[in-house]
Amino acid sequence: MSTMEEKATREGMRTVDKAQYGLAAFLAIVGGYVVYDATTLSDGFADQPVQPYAFPYVVGGVLLVLAVMLAIATSRGDVPVAEEGEDVDLTQPSDWATVIKLALVFLANILLIDWLGWAITGALLFVGTAYVLGSRTIIRDVAVGVALSVGTWYGFYSGLGLAIPAGILDGVL
Amino acid sequence: MDSLDLLLGGFQQALTLENLFYAILGVFLGTAVGVLPGIGPAMTLALLLPITYSVGPDSALIMFAGIYYGGMYGGSTTSILLNTPGESSSVVTAIEGNKMAKKGRAAQALATAAIGSFVAGTIGTLLLVLFAPSVAGQVVKLGNPSNFALIVLAMFAVTAVLGTSRLRGFIALFLGLAIGLVGGQTGQARLTFGNPLLADGIDIVVVAVGIFAIGEALWVAAHLRRRPLDIIPVGQPWMSREDWGRSWKPWLRGTAYGFPFGALPAGGAEIPTFLSYVTERKLSKHPEEFGKGAIEGVAGPEAANNASAAGTLVPLLAIGLPTTATAAIMLLAIQSYGIETGPQLFDTEPDLVWALLASLFIGNTLLLLLNLPLAPLWAKLLQIPRPYLYAGILFFASLGAYSVSFQPFDLAILLVIGLLGLAMRRFGLPVLPLIIGVILGPKLEEQLTTSLQISSGDISTLWSEPVAVIVYAFIAVALVLIVVGGLRRPKPEAPVEEKEEVSA
Amino acid sequence: MSVVVMYSPDEFGRVALSYGATEAARRSEKLVVVNPTKGDSYVDTKFAREDELSSLRSTLERLDVESEILHDVVPDIAGAVLHAASSTGASLIVVGIRPRTPVGKLLLGSVAQRLILDAECPVLSVKPDGSEDQL
Repeated sequence: MSTMEEKATREGMRTVDKAQYGLAAFLAIVGGYVVYDATTLSDGFADQPVQPYAFPYVVGGVLLVLAVMLAIATSRGDVPVAEEGEDVDLTQPSDWATVIKLALVFLANILLIDWLGWAITGALLFVGTAYVLGSRTIIRDVAVGVALSVGTWYGFYSGLGLAIPAGILDGVL
Repeated sequence: MDSLDLLLGGFQQALTLENLFYAILGVFLGTAVGVLPGIGPAMTLALLLPITYSVGPDSALIMFAGIYYGGMYGGSTTSILLNTPGESSSVVTAIEGNKMAKKGRAAQALATAAIGSFVAGTIGTLLLVLFAPSVAGQVVKLGNPSNFALIVLAMFAVTAVLGTSRLRGFIALFLGLAIGLVGGQTGQARLTFGNPLLADGIDIVVVAVGIFAIGEALWVAAHLRRRPLDIIPVGQPWMSREDWGRSWKPWLRGTAYGFPFGALPAGGAEIPTFLSYVTERKLSKHPEEFGKGAIEGVAGPEAANNASAAGTLVPLLAIGLPTTATAAIMLLAIQSYGIETGPQLFDTEPDLVWALLASLFIGNTLLLLLNLPLAPLWAKLLQIPRPYLYAGILFFASLGAYSVSFQPFDLAILLVIGLLGLAMRRFGLPVLPLIIGVILGPKLEEQLTTSLQISSGDISTLWSEPVAVIVYAFIAVALVLIVVGGLRRPKPEAPVEEKEEVSA
Repeated sequence: MSVVVMYSPDEFGRVALSYGATEAARRSEKLVVVNPTKGDSYVDTKFAREDELSSLRSTLERLDVESEILHDVVPDIAGAVLHAASSTGASLIVVGIRPRTPVGKLLLGSVAQRLILDAECPVLSVKPDGSEDQL
């Protein structure tokens, strides 16, 4: 329940959620790419009743149509009901900075994991995300993070028989 | 009775030490995540999907079923003590449950919720045991054209019936279908951007974890700071004789509502809980108590949501169609063992299915025995700071995705899908159609291909079977109704009303 | 000029309130009661609930000093108290001390420690001694 929505329905005022145009554009790009990719597919076996490009054409085409419909609906004031969730307080504005920071921490994990190994990067991931989300007890976070990453490393190895790559700690663990 | 023999055999398998351990683990995890708002069985199952790579199918499914039932139970604890439902299916419980708690009757509310959940779960599982095999027996006789039609129906039902915006439902569905297209299943690489790592398609596990776990975590991160909730301290749950007397009929009525809705595509648990509440209010001998803490208002809805959880397993096991997001992930778990889901499941994997059904009874009993005395403990979980909870989710999500093939590339995909999940929540795109699209899209194509192959390209085969015809007729009628209804009046503002009711 | 009290609805917060009230009366200054939360957990036992808040209000009304309650969601607890101190021109901050195990001292942050180190005015640290029950 966002106050923006309430206003729209009560005063009959039209609110245009411009960000939805971005979503419509995204849909158009995806749809367009799916169709384009389909054109690169050559005919399959002669007796294949459903050609590999059949479904992509349909899916891509429909996505393009949906993109246009969404754009029209947006301009008419169609506002999304942002997912409520049991833990989400929508009366306060969204904190996208936190999201971006989280994505960056995640990206760091992706880049470092092959080099340093999960035992280290997992802990870094935990500490980083906890910090971004507001935790300031860094020493405790590091302790928990290391316990988790090393623990899961061993747990996977002895319990499930999976050896997670150890990266730089190869031979130590 | 044949089923009884099979069920007893299932108990034998379910009562092994290993499977019992997984059942207990599942029930504990399920209750814990049910209690924590913002984390649910769907996300937990998605996070745990990777273990299917190393744990046996029966153990994994037993644990997942425990989590599923446990989640329904745990949600009622926060509804009653905090007026904040832990699960969307517990929203109605909060109405009367929290009022009871404020009057000092929290113990009775928790007790009626727990016992009602047990009763409903047991009866529901019994019905499941009775119905699922016979339904499967019928469906397995259907040919490919009918299967194709049924999948179309499922997609249509989930998209057009659920949610407040059909446009968005369709958007989600087709995005899911697009994701399902990636890979070389049809002999040629599609949408792989020339990257060999995508040749096998995007791993379902990564999609599930990305959409449910990462997407949810990122969304919550954008709205993290808020006032803590007032919690009502409570001792152990118990009920007086009068409470029992007032509860048992609502339990049975709630079960009657919940089970059928759970079995229907797009039925879910929210509608039956609401229906149960309204019915109890009408039938109650103490109508003046409603809105101030009537025990029937907790007993009925809680039974309904557990019965619906049992109900969703009917189409899941008998037909291979998931009707809720949580069921969809369980389907993924079964599929990741290379097991073909669908009506033939009862024939091809009887040990697995009956062990699962037996462990549902066990899990249900465990829930009652373990959780009734532990209710105050679950309430303590709520003091964990959310940075830890969500850092933990991101941690396990990354671990899970990484463990698929130890490629950082999977983590990159995870992040991209996670951002998609975030965008979906921002723009109100429902998640279930997307997952259905990813899971059932390839199946749809496959059924179409096979149908046309068998008929040597004759497209009329698609409506040659009676079931297919009925399904298409139904969809056509539904479409007409939707279009007519949409043209006549604007959509009702359901979400606003619901929210106001909870805070009444 | 004011006396700032770091409050929580337990004996540590109440003893701080009791000493703070005495000091505020003696200095004829305003009593500022700060009870913030980071909003991190669903349930924060240090954040006063509705019923605890109303009993706090009635306690404050019985005192003969002017008082104010700050009851907000903030990103940083110690920072919120320090900010209240500097914006109201505090002459004293009062905080109740909780017992810590040796491991606890290492791992957990200490609001009291930050207040003592960063405050511009004197900080009075107190432990429960029975005076909180006489409020």
